[in-house]
Amino acid sequence: MSPGRNGFDGSDGNGAPLAAASDHVRDELVRFVRALRRAGVEVPANAGVTAGRGLADVGLDDPDRVRVALRASLVADARDRPTFERLFEAFWRRLGAGPDAADAAGWTDDGPDGGLASFGAEPAASESGEGGEGDEDERDETLAERHVGAVVGRETAAADGDGATTARYSPNGRRTAVSAARADHEFGTAFDALTKSLATLSGRRWRAGGDERPDVRRALRASVATGGTVAELPRRRRTRSELRACLLVDVSRSVLDVVDRSFLLEFLRHAHEAWREARVFFFDDDLREVTSAFDAPDERALDALSRAETEWGGGTRIGGSFARLHERASDAVSRDSVVFVVSDGLEMGDVETLEREAAWLSRRARAVFWLNPLAASPEFEPTARGMAAALPYLDGLFAFAGPDDLAELARQLDRQGRHGRIGYEYDPRRVEATDERRNTS
Amino acid sequence: MSERPTGFTETTEAEVRAAFDATGYVADDEIVTTTALSLRLGKPLLVEGEPGAGKTELAKVLANGFDTDLVRLQCYEGLTAESALYEWNYTKQLLSVQTADTGGGPGEGVDGPGSAGGADPSVFTEEYLLERPLLRALRADGDRPPVLLIDEVDRADEEFEALLLEVLSEFQVTIPELGTVRASTPPAVVITSNRTRGLSDALKRRCLFLHVEPPSFEKERAILERRVPELDTAVAAELCAAVGRLREEPLLKPPGAAETIDWARAVAVLRDGSDEPLDPETVRTTLGCLLKEVEDVERVDDDLLGSLLAAATEVDA
Repeated sequence: MSPGRNGFDGSDGNGAPLAAASDHVRDELVRFVRALRRAGVEVPANAGVTAGRGLADVGLDDPDRVRVALRASLVADARDRPTFERLFEAFWRRLGAGPDAADAAGWTDDGPDGGLASFGAEPAASESGEGGEGDEDERDETLAERHVGAVVGRETAAADGDGATTARYSPNGRRTAVSAARADHEFGTAFDALTKSLATLSGRRWRAGGDERPDVRRALRASVATGGTVAELPRRRRTRSELRACLLVDVSRSVLDVVDRSFLLEFLRHAHEAWREARVFFFDDDLREVTSAFDAPDERALDALSRAETEWGGGTRIGGSFARLHERASDAVSRDSVVFVVSDGLEMGDVETLEREAAWLSRRARAVFWLNPLAASPEFEPTARGMAAALPYLDGLFAFAGPDDLAELARQLDRQGRHGRIGYEYDPRRVEATDERRNTS
Repeated sequence: MSERPTGFTETTEAEVRAAFDATGYVADDEIVTTTALSLRLGKPLLVEGEPGAGKTELAKVLANGFDTDLVRLQCYEGLTAESALYEWNYTKQLLSVQTADTGGGPGEGVDGPGSAGGADPSVFTEEYLLERPLLRALRADGDRPPVLLIDEVDRADEEFEALLLEVLSEFQVTIPELGTVRASTPPAVVITSNRTRGLSDALKRRCLFLHVEPPSFEKERAILERRVPELDTAVAAELCAAVGRLREEPLLKPPGAAETIDWARAVAVLRDGSDEPLDPETVRTTLGCLLKEVEDVERVDDDLLGSLLAAATEVDA
């Protein structure tokens, strides 16, 4: 590696006066970092300094090496690379133009916002087919958490033949007001049992066993029986009591017509309050995060929903919504998080997309549970296109009509574990109802 | 992060490339430049990418190529400071105390007179210290500092990440009973992550980033040529095409480059140097090298098998 010291520490690779060149490179680097941040790239706090050192090391002769050095310093998330590439072109052009050209063109830095306005309007942006501002708008709409006040989506006519022939469970269903329900004892018990059975993270309490730390107290107590000799060193571990979850809630009309909305909201609010992290997303033909709507206690969250006049009840593109999660908020799902999908599985979009994204969810999450309000019926079978496509990638499909279903989910997990024979088909209530039907017929 | 010399500060890109070439690691310019920059600036290299893309291998070849030790810390859920940094040998300490109590006298350790360091009756000395990977990397005393590989850091808890920050900030650690241990020359640090969870900003701030993309057809073919030279070149191309087609399926565990290498080795052994095109029987019998989930193997029915072979045939055409 030939340390090109252009503009930084001694030699001058461009023939421009050293100080001016150095200032110019520094200025453009600062602008570039700001432009990245404005475009939504999460640039680490001191990355500009690292980038400067990187530039000093690789020099300014070869744009490809400059690109690599800056990318390694500034882009912590691979999804930000396209934005980086687009803005880098502008940065490189301006760097090559020199400080005089910058002054002549009126490229002045008037603070964090003003100085970078021209970045988005650079020819490079349009050449690449992405308008700078448009890009930013798009990011704002997709990356930033949107409030529930946004319109979720209107009924979209299913253009494909499959969608057109898909049965709808309540074509005449109307949107109804959402009412708050107080958490009763039954719900609380069921919810606590579910949390306990699914806990993925260590809490603060210690218990005997495991291999995290020596249990000195038990060792001393045991040594009394052996004349002060410690025959073996017992150890202890932290209890698992915390849960991280991602909740994907289908708010299309077919779901809202059959689900108990009060129960649904109670479940979401409890999850938000009790679990270490619970990110909530609503989806129908698009997906948006609504976690912040559950920050307010009780009625205030619902008041906010009412005031926002949320339009619930469009068609459903489950696969497309999962793809949006994958693309824009994949950090909501991690190895130590449990994903809950609340949906009836009626897919109006592309089933292959749903299959692909369900596979991704399955790979990425600790567990994926599908909570289907329709599964509470003893006659239920997962024959809906979306439900059938997603089924192989689920850890379990369960009913979701009331606290009893949560309790049943927790009971099965406790007895069988995540990898055991669990799901709606092993629900004793269903088995009982099926036997009754057989006897009567 | 420490700005002190790391023993790699004078490393050139040519040396990094030579190290990769010597071990058969196929690396493009971005990987070479970023790795060299990380070594020269003394910053940990955070390598992210899909499983099987060669992230861990990068650290191994770096250690091999520069003829230095590789100290590996495999992260897992629940990893604690004791497992990563150091631990006291409790059993030995207890035995030593009892030996002293029963007449062995102070300073006469379990290994015989004088073994505990003479006049020092303490059981908190070097003798009782169990080094774990992080401490071993800090105290290495070879000609060149080791390469410290912190593998799959996203599997560890956030609490461990905080500990890691503390160690990587100054390349030193304080052991209350012994004092501060500081690396004379800090190790080269490679951290890998599969992005199963987001990492803290504090950790990101201290690293340079390298995103290893899934290998392209050409790159994968070059990997096979270097790593499985006994396989016929045309057959290697067919395998790469078939794997590429397989990755388009919604698999629970898509095969990475490592699986392709395993598959190629299996095919090479079975076919004993033959340059005949791939046949369905060979693909079916060796599929276990490529797919590690039962559901994925079951997905490969006759139709998909035909599709894989068609993709392989297109390469020949």
